[in-house]
Amino acid sequence: MQTAETKAGWLTAETVFASAHFLRASAFVLIALLALAVRLPQLGVRPMHTDEAVNAFMVGHSLAGEAYHYDPKDRHGPALVESTLPLVWLEGAQKFSDLTESLLRLVPVLAGSATVLLFGAAVEMFGFIPCLVAALLFAFAPLPVYYSRYFIHETLFVAATLGLMVSGWRAVRRNSLGFAAIAGLCAALMLACKETAGLHFFALGLAAVIGWRLRTPGKMPPAKLWLAGASAFFVGGILLFTWGGQNWSALGDLFRALPHLAARAGGEGHEKPFTYYFILLAGGWSGAAIIILALLFRVTGSFARLTLAVYAVLIGAIYCAIPYKTPWLALNFWLPLALLAGFGIERLWFASGKPSARAAILLGAAVLGLLVAHDTRQRVFLHPAAENNPYAYAHTTEDLLSLPVRLEELARQNKIQNPRIAVIAKDAWPLPWYLRKFSNVGFWQPNQETGDADFFITTTDVPGKLAERLKYFRPDYFGARPNVLLILWSPAKTSSPP
Amino acid sequence: MKKIIFHTVSLVLLSASAALAQDKIPLVTKLPDPLFVGTPVPITIPNLEPETKKWPDFQVPAGTVNLAISNKVTASDNDPVVGTLDLVTDGDKAGDEGSWVELGQGKQWVQIDLNKEANIYAVVVWHFHSQARVYRDVVVQVSDDPTFSKDVTTIYDNSAAGKDRPYVETYFGKLIDAKGVKGRYVRLYSNGNTTNKMNHYIEVEVWGKPAA
Repeated sequence: MQTAETKAGWLTAETVFASAHFLRASAFVLIALLALAVRLPQLGVRPMHTDEAVNAFMVGHSLAGEAYHYDPKDRHGPALVESTLPLVWLEGAQKFSDLTESLLRLVPVLAGSATVLLFGAAVEMFGFIPCLVAALLFAFAPLPVYYSRYFIHETLFVAATLGLMVSGWRAVRRNSLGFAAIAGLCAALMLACKETAGLHFFALGLAAVIGWRLRTPGKMPPAKLWLAGASAFFVGGILLFTWGGQNWSALGDLFRALPHLAARAGGEGHEKPFTYYFILLAGGWSGAAIIILALLFRVTGSFARLTLAVYAVLIGAIYCAIPYKTPWLALNFWLPLALLAGFGIERLWFASGKPSARAAILLGAAVLGLLVAHDTRQRVFLHPAAENNPYAYAHTTEDLLSLPVRLEELARQNKIQNPRIAVIAKDAWPLPWYLRKFSNVGFWQPNQETGDADFFITTTDVPGKLAERLKYFRPDYFGARPNVLLILWSPAKTSSPP
Repeated sequence: MKKIIFHTVSLVLLSASAALAQDKIPLVTKLPDPLFVGTPVPITIPNLEPETKKWPDFQVPAGTVNLAISNKVTASDNDPVVGTLDLVTDGDKAGDEGSWVELGQGKQWVQIDLNKEANIYAVVVWHFHSQARVYRDVVVQVSDDPTFSKDVTTIYDNSAAGKDRPYVETYFGKLIDAKGVKGRYVRLYSNGNTTNKMNHYIEVEVWGKPAA
């Protein structure tokens, strides 16, 4: 009778487990959808940062049918371009000028939302509460939202890092060749995003060894797992870097990049103090609270938790020690930081069994949610390119958006159908993006001789020879970045020579 | 004989110039500390306003004072985004947070009431000097009519309609020659800048003497 009843009802252990599993999965899917909803609005409003413009230009090159050539001196790996092309093809864009900010930024938006979903896959590894908190923080906190709407490699890189952690752990736990292969592919994707993947491999590897020694003493994972992971890494990496086998020189170039990467690590104008990332992460109304929660973590957890904590310390120390610092690199700390904050909340939750204490924790979490919402609104939506926004680093000013509009207006006024535009600047970025709709644009270095043009765009250090030619042009200033001005020179009929 | 006449005329002209020059003194104002980090490179184009590297040698009649100091300021935007209108004439040219007023987007003006008609010799304006910026369509006018609907004299205009040239803001401000124009009200227009669409004023000085 009892057996029949339980079979007919819904209280068997399997169904309860399945329901709980379904509810958990649903929670993460819901948060990922909300993350998507937060990331999508006004995607094209913020001006294109120089780095975004460079990446967009490379997508344009690929659209023109050119295979990606890895440049060991600059510009990172091909993964961002490769991830963007399917979306661009789906949208029907055929050339550089068809691209839009919204279309390109959809790639980091999807990568950021996928990262939120990946926290759901990490529940087995880190626990439900930490993963839930990390997913919520990643979905709504200002820094991950900001850089999930930024057409650079960082968000994709962080998604691949979490993918490597989760699939690597599952491969070992389940002795699964499939997960080992996925881990290898994630590692390849990391390297194809940014060469700094090497630093993460080192930090993750060392953290895993420490975690293994302290928490899971015993045999190392079997060789077949290592072999599957390594094979997938090499095959995936080779396919990504050689653009599907079209450019084999990329493999040699990857090694040639090392001295350039070492030089860049020295700063190259982006030197910041050791404490830069700490100040950046602790900023706003919510930053300090998240860091305090993360510091509540105690080194008593499982292998996975200990490994994560050691990885957080190692990768934090490495990035802080490197003089070259940019705010988007802080996203690399957000992954472990969000999980550590989750451990902190979990510790508080289980340390206080009383309903009143738990109510206080929930109230505190709600207040933190409001603080996070305030920061995200301010930094992502209200002032995304403002100089006092710490995420808007050497950012293109909104003023530059009016340059192509002004050019069109002046061309119309001067009855010029297809204006010839000469840009003379040592560093013209992001102008190739903003002038992409004009078909007759040339770019020159200041010491080069330009041809005739209807309009000139220069920086303020124009050489004397060109200055003489510009004598009868009217100057209009435009802001490119803070303290960087461009001058648009247009025909001035009233002052033209007789 | 011709030589004597020439020398006599020259002497008379020199004496007259010297007499006139005696009434003139260099305009001196207290400059704020420079705030630029990364000064823009020198601009060397003939039809571009040269970079201000020192306070210009500008002569004004003896007895000329800053008539704008602490005087009433009105504006097209009565509800400034940041700061208050009295900052325009409070004598503080520091340029950091709290020393400037921010008016809304697009074309805006501020107007200074000198309380009575005056002979104005120079207007000096500091929009913003903590970074390289250019304010667009800067126009300065003088009138006795507070609504500026009649008897308006334009003393500076770098908009498309004017003959003056756009310039990069520095801690020297922009000295505008008012040529002794008579008027009670001074109005300054701008139309956003090369960083954002807002309009800023740190300080405006109106150098002159009350009309006789």
